[in-house]
Amino acid sequence: MADDSSTSHRRDPIKSSVGNVAAQRRRQNAVTVGKERRESLVRAKRLCRVGATGDGDVPVEENDMITDEAGFLLDTQTSSAVEELKSAVAYQGKGAMQKRVNTLRQLRRLLSKSEFPPVEAALKAGAIPLLVQCLSFGSPDEQLLEAAWCLTNIAAGKPEETKALMPALPLLIAHLGEKSSLPVAEQCAWALGNVAGEGEELRNVLLSQGALPPLARMMLPNKGSTVRTAAWALSNLIKGPDPKAATELIKVDGVLDAILRHLRKVDEELATEVAWVVVYLSALSNFATGVLVKSDVLQLLVERLATSNSLQLLIPVLRSLGNLVAADSHTISTVLVPGHEITDGVIKVLVKCLKSDHRVLKKEASWVLSNIAAGSIEHKQLIYSSEAVPLLLRLLSTAPFDIRKEVAYVLGNLCVAPTAGEGKPNLIEEHLASLVQRGCLSGFIDLVRSADIEAARLGLQFTELVLRGVPNGDGPKLVEQEDGIDAMEIYQFHENEDLRNMANGLVDKYFGEDYGIDE
Amino acid sequence: MEWNAETLQFLSQCFLHTLSHKPEPRRAAESSLAEAADRPNYGLAVLRLVAEPSVDEQIRQAAAVNFKNHLKTRWVPSNDSNARATFSPILDPEKDQIKTLIVSLMLSSTPRIQSQLCEALAVIGKHDFPKSWPTLLPELISNLQKAAQSSDYASINGILGTANSIFKKFRYQYKTNDLLLDLKYCLDNFAAPLLEIFLKTASLVDSMADAPGGGSPATLRPLFESQRLCCRIFFSLNFQELPEFFEDHMREWMGEFRKYLTTNYPSLESNSDGLALVDELRAAVCENISLYMEKNEEEFQGYLNEFASAVWSLLTNVSQSSSRDKLAVTAMKFLTTVSTSVHHTLFANEGVLPQICQSIVIPNVRLRDEDEELFEMNYIEFIRRDMEGSDLDTRRRIACELLKGIATNYKKQVIDIVSVQIQNLLSSFATNPSSNWKDKDCAIYLVVSLATKKAGGTFVSTDLVDVQSFFLSVIVPELQSQDVNAFPILKAGSLKFFTMFRGLIQKPVAFQLFPDLVRFLGAESNVVHSYAASCIEKLLLVKDEGGNARYTSADITPFVPVLMNNLFNALKFPESEENQYVMKCILRVLAAADISREIAGPCIVGLTSILNEVCKNPKNPIFNHYLFESVAILVRRACERDASLISAFESSLFPSLQTILATDVTEFLPYAFQLLAQLVELNKPPISPSYMQIFVLLLSPESWRRSSNVPALVRLLQAFLQKAPHELNQEGRLNQVLGIFNMLVSSAGTDEQGFYVLNTVIENLEYGVLSPYMSNIWNVLFMRLQNNRTVKFQKSLVIFMSLFLVKHGAQNLVGTMNAVQANIFLVILEQFWIPNLKLITGAIELKLTAVASTRLICETPVLLDAAAARVWGKMLDSIVTLLSRPEQDRVEEEPEMPDIAENVGYTATFVKLYNAGKKEDDLLTDVKDPKQFLVASLAKLSAVTPGRYPQIISESLEPANQTALLQLCTTYNCQIV
Repeated sequence: MADDSSTSHRRDPIKSSVGNVAAQRRRQNAVTVGKERRESLVRAKRLCRVGATGDGDVPVEENDMITDEAGFLLDTQTSSAVEELKSAVAYQGKGAMQKRVNTLRQLRRLLSKSEFPPVEAALKAGAIPLLVQCLSFGSPDEQLLEAAWCLTNIAAGKPEETKALMPALPLLIAHLGEKSSLPVAEQCAWALGNVAGEGEELRNVLLSQGALPPLARMMLPNKGSTVRTAAWALSNLIKGPDPKAATELIKVDGVLDAILRHLRKVDEELATEVAWVVVYLSALSNFATGVLVKSDVLQLLVERLATSNSLQLLIPVLRSLGNLVAADSHTISTVLVPGHEITDGVIKVLVKCLKSDHRVLKKEASWVLSNIAAGSIEHKQLIYSSEAVPLLLRLLSTAPFDIRKEVAYVLGNLCVAPTAGEGKPNLIEEHLASLVQRGCLSGFIDLVRSADIEAARLGLQFTELVLRGVPNGDGPKLVEQEDGIDAMEIYQFHENEDLRNMANGLVDKYFGEDYGIDE
Repeated sequence: MEWNAETLQFLSQCFLHTLSHKPEPRRAAESSLAEAADRPNYGLAVLRLVAEPSVDEQIRQAAAVNFKNHLKTRWVPSNDSNARATFSPILDPEKDQIKTLIVSLMLSSTPRIQSQLCEALAVIGKHDFPKSWPTLLPELISNLQKAAQSSDYASINGILGTANSIFKKFRYQYKTNDLLLDLKYCLDNFAAPLLEIFLKTASLVDSMADAPGGGSPATLRPLFESQRLCCRIFFSLNFQELPEFFEDHMREWMGEFRKYLTTNYPSLESNSDGLALVDELRAAVCENISLYMEKNEEEFQGYLNEFASAVWSLLTNVSQSSSRDKLAVTAMKFLTTVSTSVHHTLFANEGVLPQICQSIVIPNVRLRDEDEELFEMNYIEFIRRDMEGSDLDTRRRIACELLKGIATNYKKQVIDIVSVQIQNLLSSFATNPSSNWKDKDCAIYLVVSLATKKAGGTFVSTDLVDVQSFFLSVIVPELQSQDVNAFPILKAGSLKFFTMFRGLIQKPVAFQLFPDLVRFLGAESNVVHSYAASCIEKLLLVKDEGGNARYTSADITPFVPVLMNNLFNALKFPESEENQYVMKCILRVLAAADISREIAGPCIVGLTSILNEVCKNPKNPIFNHYLFESVAILVRRACERDASLISAFESSLFPSLQTILATDVTEFLPYAFQLLAQLVELNKPPISPSYMQIFVLLLSPESWRRSSNVPALVRLLQAFLQKAPHELNQEGRLNQVLGIFNMLVSSAGTDEQGFYVLNTVIENLEYGVLSPYMSNIWNVLFMRLQNNRTVKFQKSLVIFMSLFLVKHGAQNLVGTMNAVQANIFLVILEQFWIPNLKLITGAIELKLTAVASTRLICETPVLLDAAAARVWGKMLDSIVTLLSRPEQDRVEEEPEMPDIAENVGYTATFVKLYNAGKKEDDLLTDVKDPKQFLVASLAKLSAVTPGRYPQIISESLEPANQTALLQLCTTYNCQIV
């Protein structure tokens, strides 16, 4: 009593019990301020240097560095190419069509020549209105193709440059339709994919102009390159954050079948693009997720994870799997039922990812596991007795921070039983005791010391489990040994009230000096 | 409040007077301001005054402070119902005007006013930014760009300071979508301008630093301040996760960061102020790179090597300097983060660890002049840091954290190196103890700090040294040193070591040193005698396996006379007059030792003389608390052994207690009442007449008005009623007690206290004594019910009636009530008892009211009458609700106003004295479970007239309650027939 009163002026009463957040499924935040990780692997905007249809008439040099001088030359050439296009467009005489195609091709070549196309010069010279004119209905395919190609590479530029395409959008969308030849439609899809990759504002323009249905229909046939381009453009178009587009896409007749069909194909590049579509469908739209989990998609994802070694493919496939697990309870409760073959398959591929050298795979696999570990007792037992646990324990002590945090969620979830309502979670003593005995506590205490407040909370929550639940009342002793008291004392005056109350409450409850019991 | 010349004049006068040295005009001004603050547009008017150039700067400053505080309490009114008072909130139109004005006013004002307005702005921002203040960020940014063009650094820093305070929330709030949306908004708008100003200022700094003479300090200073603010904003914006913009521009940021860690700015650093300024920037940089290292180590990896070496060489310099604490600490934290990360191999290279230990850890652990100064000048703060864990940000502690960090991956190497260092330090001490004593201090500090902390400080282990032998060879010689005043810091360190490792020191060794500990209580140094006291105190708490105290009363009793003597003497040292460590030790010794008459005598004299002293001006609540606990435990334990001592205690304590009561030492009143209660209880009736004088105080309405006194007064009243019921009944005292009840219960603010008094009387007196007063009591209660029936009062009334019934029977309850007015009982029952019963909360109260209500419907003729069947059914319905539903389903949030009137401005709180305590008596020990009591009583009742009650039940109980009742019957195997 007396000791409490002496400290009461700085310690708030513990208001909330140490909660069971770890036990909840987590969907990745819809809002993000970080860089989209996809970009390091697959760029949101792509330059078209070799024709979509394999029309490789420009020799492409790899890694060509453009010197200032060469850049200047390119700019001048581009300006004059636009001037020529201007006169070609104005010219109505004999051979006008061929002249237009030739000048367009000239401009397209200049725009495809280097990693850093002379977009600025083209725009300054007034290329856009001319290119729009060249897209007019009834123009020959060759002209449409070249114009769309030019626009594709302009759209691959800086944000302002992409925005310059605004006047061309209605025609680009119009040429996606069934009446267009495939190469033209595909090139237009590419240009539109770049526009959609720019950001939310342009995505909304495209959606309001009706770009989604024709793009979606381009996924239906079996022509590889068209489907690939369309899928990539769609994955850009449905990125949200508004889930409407994703929902709209999955509702288009035949799209679900097409996704499943393409995911079955050997072509890994194709599967990669399609898998990214699944990523955004499952990340954003509950409706789409509901449709997907009732299909064969989980099975297909698991198969691809098991058989492929392509990082480019594994990342979207793994993330799709994670989204489907995190977003829809149906996945956990009726598809990934312990005892089913697919469930063992999932665990197996996740173990494979945990073993991989690539940190993204390790992190995402841990994230998926953490969501499965939030399921029923049987799910927890399944993971607990799998090969994953020793891997997770090692990662918890050696991996970089972001992986450790995900791993900690898995291990934490393994130790708490599902609860119906609020309040402290019931713990699974067997799991807790064994994981602690195998040394995971120090990893959690490290998280308590972390600057990341989610991680710190997780660390404190686990510490609470240990203090409360390790058999024979050994918890406090173990926490002491790992210097946990010291770690919790960091929060004595922390600005985050929740963490402060949690840490101070634990110290008071389990380590407070028993004042007065000596009498 | 309208803004005109008159207002200007009024406010200026008020603010001028608030600065007055004379209390009268100051208080008058403060109260007129407080009054004016409730009027609409007051805040706006004060802000206008702040902006009025014709007004004296001093007045405007006072107004700015007032404005900030005004906003703090009223921008968003507190929803805490316990708040002392509710302020009228600022209305939206006024808020809008304030928001329109404040940025430009802040930027154009003088530095002191600016800092106040900046804080005020942060108060608004905390609630309104960004969603309800969409213009703020654009306004700040456009001003920033304008100011940057003219290199107006006063404005730039004002804007950055503001941005810094409104972005701070990103540093500690949980990552929710709402928070991320806010963050994204800030990033989208502010990330680019921030980088722009940061780079612009950086190039200004560079060009000046390159110029001959390195630029004038006056121009450089605001630039460094500006860069520091940019770094702090960087920290906030990067805290949650690495934003895309910062990842894309990492090279620019890191380039400048590195420059500030590796470049010297001689024109600033040549004096201590300037050095501090540059160091603050460097410390901010270190925090940023620590953050990146910890959370974004993959993206940061490319910069790690250069930063690790930059920080290392910086630290090597800083470690030699005795100031520069903040920088040393943040820089060491960075290295600690690196040492525990996946890149710890940076430390694996040959020679790195010894280097770090030698040139960074040891110099930072060494005692510095500042530490010595603190040891001498402010012993309380020194102990807080040294012993109680408030050293999280001291160099000594962080240097040890660095070692611990490295030891996560290189434990053996660290132990080897540190062991060698410790040996070196000890041998250096041995060669010349008087000049190299700091080496030994350093060694002791290392051993203690690198040990693993254990619960309550009872066990500590370390891999570093063998504790037993270190204790014998290094610590014991200090403790046995004959001069208690020589090398006090070494003595303190040794006592601390003993305290920390007390569990590991074997009893014979420790016991042998006991006289030395007692001796050190006489050391002049406050830290040393505090540590000696603390060490003894903690030793007495050491438990062996099995939970028995290691040091028994038989062990210590022989020492007690000299120990007590030294403890009381220690309280005579300057600044130790209210030494809480010494007082706590006194308490612990009194709790452990045999208290013979010989010991009790001097102790009570000593304690009362201290008590008399602190009564004059209570300062240290912790000391005072231990003091009262000591008195209580002394009285209790001494009287347990020898009951005859009570009169001696009474004669010693009475004068002190009377002083407290007579001079109204508010902080001590609850303690005094508890001690008196303890004394009364220890008395054998008849009680000494001197207590009856105290009783007069119990009859003072003033004592009861203060809610902090009430629990203690109730306890005292109970003690009197139990020990001296007859005395109470004499000289009209009971009448006076009931007069107090009457006074308290009549007002909604104090009615709870009133019921405390009444319930105590009802519980402890025989019905025969009470009966003459009952109609008066009922009259008072009914009157209050008529005038002001709050829910709280009605609930208290139900509890009181239940208590009365349980204590004195249903017959007496009904009889006394109906004596006031015919048939009023049934009216009260139906209108108040039944509807409020289901609102009762608290385990004891629930049991009491449920049992009383059950007895009412099973035993009271008036309810068993066929005519009362409807009321009977409603009562049962209410009982079942009470017993079958969880509290939150029964009780709605009370729509009542919080009590404010009497308690405003009163700070003393009731603190229970552990050693003067008494166990709560459960009135209803014969009833274990009120649910079972209900169904058993009903079964018994129904058996007499089968068929009657099931019908009433089916007619009057809610269906849900019928089911619940049926379930209860099944559970307890009872039947209602």
